Amino acid sequence: MLQIKNLEVEVENKKIINSLNLSVGKGEFHMIMGPNGSGKSTLALTLMGHPNYKITNGKIEFDGRVINDIPVDERARMGIFLAFQHPEDIEGVKIIDYLRLLLEKVKSIEPAKALQIIPSKAREVWFSADMLSRYINVGFSGGERKRFEILQALLIKPKLLILDEPDSGVDIDSLSLISHKIRELYEQGTSILLITHYGRILEHVDPKIVRVHIMKDGHIVMSGKEELVEKIEKEGFKKVFEECGCNE
Amino acid sequence: MSELTVQDARSIIEGQIETLKKRNKEPEWMTKLRYKAMDAFFEAPHNDPIIKDPLDYIAKAEEEMYPEVKSLDELPPEMLALLDRLGIAEVEKKYIAGLAVQSDTSIVLNDFLKDWRKKGLIVESMEDAVRNYPILKDLFLKQFNPYESKLAAYHTAVWNGGIFLHVAQGLKVPMPLHLFFLIQNSAMAQAPHIIIHAEPNSEIHLIEGCTSPVLVRHSLHLDMTEAYIGEGADVKLSVLQNWPEYVHTRPMTRARIGKDAEFINTTVSLGPGKSNIANPKYWVDEGGYAELNGIILGQKDFYVDLGGEMNLDAPGARGLNASKSVIMDKSSVITRGIIRANAPKTKGHISCDALILNPEARMETYPGLISQVDDAELSHEAAIGKIREEELFYLMSRGLKEEEATQLIVKGFVNPLLKDIPLEFVVEIRKIIEMAVSGGM
Repeated sequence: MLQIKNLEVEVENKKIINSLNLSVGKGEFHMIMGPNGSGKSTLALTLMGHPNYKITNGKIEFDGRVINDIPVDERARMGIFLAFQHPEDIEGVKIIDYLRLLLEKVKSIEPAKALQIIPSKAREVWFSADMLSRYINVGFSGGERKRFEILQALLIKPKLLILDEPDSGVDIDSLSLISHKIRELYEQGTSILLITHYGRILEHVDPKIVRVHIMKDGHIVMSGKEELVEKIEKEGFKKVFEECGCNE
Repeated sequence: MSELTVQDARSIIEGQIETLKKRNKEPEWMTKLRYKAMDAFFEAPHNDPIIKDPLDYIAKAEEEMYPEVKSLDELPPEMLALLDRLGIAEVEKKYIAGLAVQSDTSIVLNDFLKDWRKKGLIVESMEDAVRNYPILKDLFLKQFNPYESKLAAYHTAVWNGGIFLHVAQGLKVPMPLHLFFLIQNSAMAQAPHIIIHAEPNSEIHLIEGCTSPVLVRHSLHLDMTEAYIGEGADVKLSVLQNWPEYVHTRPMTRARIGKDAEFINTTVSLGPGKSNIANPKYWVDEGGYAELNGIILGQKDFYVDLGGEMNLDAPGARGLNASKSVIMDKSSVITRGIIRANAPKTKGHISCDALILNPEARMETYPGLISQVDDAELSHEAAIGKIREEELFYLMSRGLKEEEATQLIVKGFVNPLLKDIPLEFVVEIRKIIEMAVSGGM
């Protein structure tokens, strides 16, 4: 479904990602770990098509189509969804109005039908009817922000869900719920690309299904299974990199 | 410059005054006031960057009043189409509340509930009111002086149309009243005079809508509003403007806000017209509160200059001047609110936000805070900018097209100031914003 070949990305003329290769098949669960500054968020934003992230080499293929030059909104409509690490505040735009528009324009769901679907999905991520009248992310706690990202994913049901640190700045209960919901989407057939520092987010996910990749200096230096997560959590990136000779 | 000589001008205005006097069977005091204003017109200063000579916009008073129309169904189809332009036809179906439509200089529809009249709600065309209510002698032109500007003088000399709204002491009107102005004749100044007289502890919400057919050229809309808000009264005045690009509007609004009274004045300029210059003034008494909210949608090469002076004249008086402008194409918007704290323990705030959608659009803001006392709390904030790229990216990353995302952001930007506008209008306002944003992209 997603094929990243020899990808090279620049931000403000600085190379952040180089010779990155990754393949995510339909219904697969991938996890990317790596120290700060290794290029994880850059990868996520590049996959989504952020205009500040320039692809200088290589290609991204989604469903058999090279999407390097396809704008963000079209990528979204093709089935790619990015749950942001830092979701934006949008002053004055009520959640309910936004979600209704989204379902109408992106999923062709009638507004009347949307008004039935939205509150019930919202309750699943602990958003009350009152919360739906609030402005997008304005004054939200960390947990609320991340749960709102998950709510949008649940409504859109993307083919590929990229999650950029869904566990950062989140309270313990929200974390557990988010983990649950990621599994739910996975079980419905959504492919998952999960970026994180910690294994904790896998609480409700069967670790056996997870393919783990470690990023360093803009590319993937190691891939493996659940043991890799445990090893990193126990020993830290520094030691793992020393052992594998990844420091060159 | 106009081709007219002063002598020509005098005889034209005189002719208009005589016509209006005869048509309206005016009391003598009114005719005297008109003549006084005519004299003032030739002496008063004129300072308008767009309208060089008010004589280019001469009103001709119709000899005949429109026949009275009892319901919307009796309106001519072209007028119904105009109401649609403001979303009125739809709204009227929902509201049994009053609706008065004023076309050019005459009221064509007056459908207020008779019961409310018995309780003390008077809504009457200004022409009838000056004949019927002696109190108007004490209210008419008491907050303006014709010598202060040529446009104020001209309005006073040839005012036509408008409404007298009187709310008796303690009367609370639960539904908004709607009044609509339509300009149909070209080459005329529409100069309605509106007086809101809210007696102590009364409550009312008046919604004024203004529109006109698209092809009226060089029309001038010169309305004057005088509001008297009695002690403890609560008055909301919401003005919706959707002028086409040929109309120049110069609304003149003044209000005296009594002790512990509240006056919330919201103007939504969806189509502000070719040019729109206003400088409303408010005087707020002890414990009173005035709010001036403006939503401006600058389009094409429109020129909007929105002032606003608030005088906090007694302890505990408060004022808020908030504007949100969306500036597109090559339009220019200037806001200049002034709040004067003339008494202790007063509180005033000016906020000006603008969203600029085109590099050729222009925005200027000049907040003025003047404190004559030690313990007043005055503040201002301004934020002028473009739509943030990250905001747009966020919405587009969920599949919304750039246009859809921009519309959503712009609607959200103005949303907080639409709190007192009935939902039906908000729906229409949003549609107009969507169209303007699409057109500007």
